[in-house]
Amino acid sequence: MKRDRKTGKRKLFSVQAATVLAMLLFIVAVGASAFRKDDAPVKEIRLGVMNRDSIESVKAFETVYKVLMSPRCMNCHPAGDIPLQGDDSHLHTMGPKRGKDGKGVYAMKCLNCHQETNTPGLHTPPGNSHWHLPPAAMKMVFQGKSAHELAKQLVDKKKNGNKDIRKLITHADDGLVLGAWNPGEGRTLPPVSHAEFKKAWLTWIQKGAYAPKL
Amino acid sequence: MENQTLSRRNFLKSSAVTGTVFSLGFYWPNDAKSAKIIQATEADNFGVEMNSWVHIDTSGKVTIFDHRAEMGQGSYQAVPQIVAEELEVNLSEINVVFAPGDSKKYGNQVTGGSSTVRGSYKNLLKLSATAREMLIQAAATQWGVPKMECYAEGGHVMHKPSGKRKHYGELVEAASKLVAPKDVVLKKRSDYKLIGKPLRRLDTPLKTNGTAVFGLDKHIPGMLYAAVERNPRLRGKVKSFDDTGARKIVGVKNVFKVKMGVFNTYREGVAVVADSTWAAIQGKKALKVEWDDSGFEHLDTEEIYKRQAEALQTQEGLLFKTQGEPSEIIAKAAKKIDVIYETPYQYHAAMEPLNCIAHYQDDKLEIWGPIQAPEWVQDYISKEMSIPREKVIVNMTFLGGGFGRKAFMDYPHEAAVISKEIKAPVQVVWTREDDATQGPFRPGITYRCEGVISNGEIDAFKVRMAGQNNDHWRGGKKDVANRSTSEGFLKPYMDSIKNLAIMDVPFETPIPTMWWRSVYASTNGFAYESFLDELALEAGKDPLDFRRAYLKEERLQKLIDKIQEVSGWKDRKKGDGYGVAITECFASTVAQVVKVSRAPAGGVKIDKVWAVMDCGWYVNPDTIKAQIEGSVVMALGAATIHQVKFKDGMAVDNNFSTYQMPRITDIPPIEIYIMDNDADAGGVGEPGLPPFAPALTNAVFDLTGKRIRTLPFSLQAV
Amino acid sequence: MAKIILNINSKKYPLEADPQMPLLWAIRDLAGLKGTKYGCGVAQCGACVVHLDGEAVRSCVTKVSRAVGKKVVTIEGLSETNSHPVQKAWQDIDVPQCGYCHSGQIMSAAVLLREKPDPTDQDIDDAMAGNICRCGTYLRIRKAIHMAAEVQKKAVKG
Repeated sequence: MKRDRKTGKRKLFSVQAATVLAMLLFIVAVGASAFRKDDAPVKEIRLGVMNRDSIESVKAFETVYKVLMSPRCMNCHPAGDIPLQGDDSHLHTMGPKRGKDGKGVYAMKCLNCHQETNTPGLHTPPGNSHWHLPPAAMKMVFQGKSAHELAKQLVDKKKNGNKDIRKLITHADDGLVLGAWNPGEGRTLPPVSHAEFKKAWLTWIQKGAYAPKL
Repeated sequence: MENQTLSRRNFLKSSAVTGTVFSLGFYWPNDAKSAKIIQATEADNFGVEMNSWVHIDTSGKVTIFDHRAEMGQGSYQAVPQIVAEELEVNLSEINVVFAPGDSKKYGNQVTGGSSTVRGSYKNLLKLSATAREMLIQAAATQWGVPKMECYAEGGHVMHKPSGKRKHYGELVEAASKLVAPKDVVLKKRSDYKLIGKPLRRLDTPLKTNGTAVFGLDKHIPGMLYAAVERNPRLRGKVKSFDDTGARKIVGVKNVFKVKMGVFNTYREGVAVVADSTWAAIQGKKALKVEWDDSGFEHLDTEEIYKRQAEALQTQEGLLFKTQGEPSEIIAKAAKKIDVIYETPYQYHAAMEPLNCIAHYQDDKLEIWGPIQAPEWVQDYISKEMSIPREKVIVNMTFLGGGFGRKAFMDYPHEAAVISKEIKAPVQVVWTREDDATQGPFRPGITYRCEGVISNGEIDAFKVRMAGQNNDHWRGGKKDVANRSTSEGFLKPYMDSIKNLAIMDVPFETPIPTMWWRSVYASTNGFAYESFLDELALEAGKDPLDFRRAYLKEERLQKLIDKIQEVSGWKDRKKGDGYGVAITECFASTVAQVVKVSRAPAGGVKIDKVWAVMDCGWYVNPDTIKAQIEGSVVMALGAATIHQVKFKDGMAVDNNFSTYQMPRITDIPPIEIYIMDNDADAGGVGEPGLPPFAPALTNAVFDLTGKRIRTLPFSLQAV
Repeated sequence: MAKIILNINSKKYPLEADPQMPLLWAIRDLAGLKGTKYGCGVAQCGACVVHLDGEAVRSCVTKVSRAVGKKVVTIEGLSETNSHPVQKAWQDIDVPQCGYCHSGQIMSAAVLLREKPDPTDQDIDDAMAGNICRCGTYLRIRKAIHMAAEVQKKAVKG
């Protein structure tokens, strides 16, 4: 159902593309869907073409990007192999390593400290029974990514954990993602509520998952 | 080997079952500096109970009472290693028991000032040799042969001509009836079979399978557990408290206000007593306490250092030592160096948080815990609670680290007060948060160092420190200079620098301070050894050659030769990132060279540390190396990682999550050398710490040209 | 309070405990095994490490309920005769000073050696950075782990 609805929208993009001022291309977005050709559940959109949906999609991604780059999300999507900690996203103090499966190594596995639920108190391990980083083979780095780069990465099945549109949509309600909004004492929440994030996430995807130009 | 913390009474009872025991001990006359050796039969004549330091029973088993706390520094190894040498027994046959607190029997039992070996080795050697000679005499008499034909080895007496041998156990009864010889010949150092050898520690096996009993591991029948919510500002009071939540916690038995002494001050809090540690901690968290923090200042770190710096600009301070005319020369000099160094407050952070068991009964108080200074605990509690001193029984356990903090009396006193209130034995457990925020802390000191160089030499040297004086918390006089103003600074400088002044600018805050491993040497060392480096630069001299010129003593020259040789000092090029520092404390001198380089990810990294220790006579070189390794790591933390910060009069960081510690990833290779000479024994546990920070910052300067004058500093941010 | 059965060192311990109680305090105060230490209570120092189904969990933040139906091994149960390769190496090198953190250090190192029988210095860093030692025995810990790996190898060959 969803896929059908999307396809329909996608068609709509093309029809309205010509109505968009070329000027906007530089300011707002590149009119390319962030989906790669081979993975996209939709037809390829021509580069440089702009339409109303792409603007809405890119606009929604602003919110998505703000959330994903907040410490609650980015800290477990580090550029290196050590997760980040705290609102200042410093390197995790005892330097646990990602490991092949993203679950840590040797005596330093995530679940050795991170329990099913948050440990009470300040500066204690937040909890989730699936606490982990992305695996070594697909690191899904957020840290240091521009909005453009992150959007492209998020819909690239070779870089997003092999998630198609359906999986991407349901990922908004993934337990670990939800955990960002229950981060444990003393940690700031992502910049918007989970409901707002989910709305922006869905809008971004359903309007074509356009990547911002920058 | 068993891990025993038997009380002596129990020990004697159990040994009585096995029959005769040959016991030798010391008697410390009140007016004598050194101990007199006595044996059981003589004890009555002295009117004292003998300490029975060394026991040998009829099975030949040797039991030694370790009179000092074992907190990692190795007394549990050093004391038996000394005794076994002169007693001629195998180390494996020795059983070590922690002596309960009793200074009449065991002399000074305060484990501090790196004094365990240096304070007692001569007595221990003599005592052990005396016992050996008496055993030999007993055998010779039984065999009817001249004593000189006999010798002792491996717990036996041998008769050389006949090859006859007797086990010590067989000789115990006869030996115990002999009169102890007044003079015995001690072995030459070159004849030592055990002393000076890197023998394995006797306590290690206990620490690899969980059987070592630390304070927190001790259990007394009927014991309850308590946690205390203490006022985060030492001088504050409890205004009121709501224990509704705490009493709802399953297992919580009682909640009440407590007051415990911290030296000459009192700390207030609310105790929660429960049937498990966890319930007590939960109850403590559920308390709502309103504090009365009126009547004293609530300072921030920034304000403390601002005031200290101001005081150093406006006050001369109290005189500690002066000679020549340093101030006059500095005043007239066309060019002088005038710099400020800042060192941070530090927390001891022993891995075993404070804890103590007390059992208050009508006629006595018994204590078990990780305690560095049992006799002080006896003195203090006896006075505070009006219990006769001998009725305050302090039993020792292994200490999970001490570093000075466990030489304070507040936590045993608190346990005693709580036990008295509940009329039951209780273990008071400090959470890490309690341990990290309550202090006393190492004081943060600011130094102003002024100097003039003429013709490549020090023309004037004037240093002033402003920071809290630990003695003030113990009621020390406030109109005399801190007695530790020069601690860490090599004494020969105080002769060879002709125009010199060392001053103490008095400074107080309501924040409690007290000893931290190596005490003021750890802060003085940074300031004075950094300053010498700055003076050497001004003089255009090599930093080590510059120091050498002022340190003419043969021992120091040899120490400098050694550090120069092992670190490749002469082969280095300027700017390679080498720094040196030499400090002395507790009768030992340590030189360290640190090598740093640019880190690929930015900042600097420590490539290597070389250390040379001159501690004179020593027992176990491997223990010494371990102590230096540990000292360097502790110094590394204090120099580059952590400090206690205050906001509104309270310590900010309360656990290792924000009070970061050095971890295995932070540690450079450390190469250690020990000087061999005939000097008396010096301390080992602390002297390795002070030279590290200045050697490091001097190295950073050599590499980068950046002079670090404030600790801690970030290696990554250099 | 709930009735809970813990399997510690292959022995059954029926306990009456608050299911929220950290495993650490259940092991120490209820089962009476004092080798596992309290250091920080917030999974920062590693003094409380025990093996939970073979993993080096920080028992100070692990609720006792998580251990139900699983195998808990504490320092007392690592070997019967103080002879696990890690314990032997610790003894050979005299790693501990005060010794308080070493139950946890040894339990962490044992997991490392099981999963990486021939660890590099980097592996040791990766495995052991969660264990704090205030006495600063880190250099000896590193050396002892390399030695334990040798001991283990010989034992396997033999």
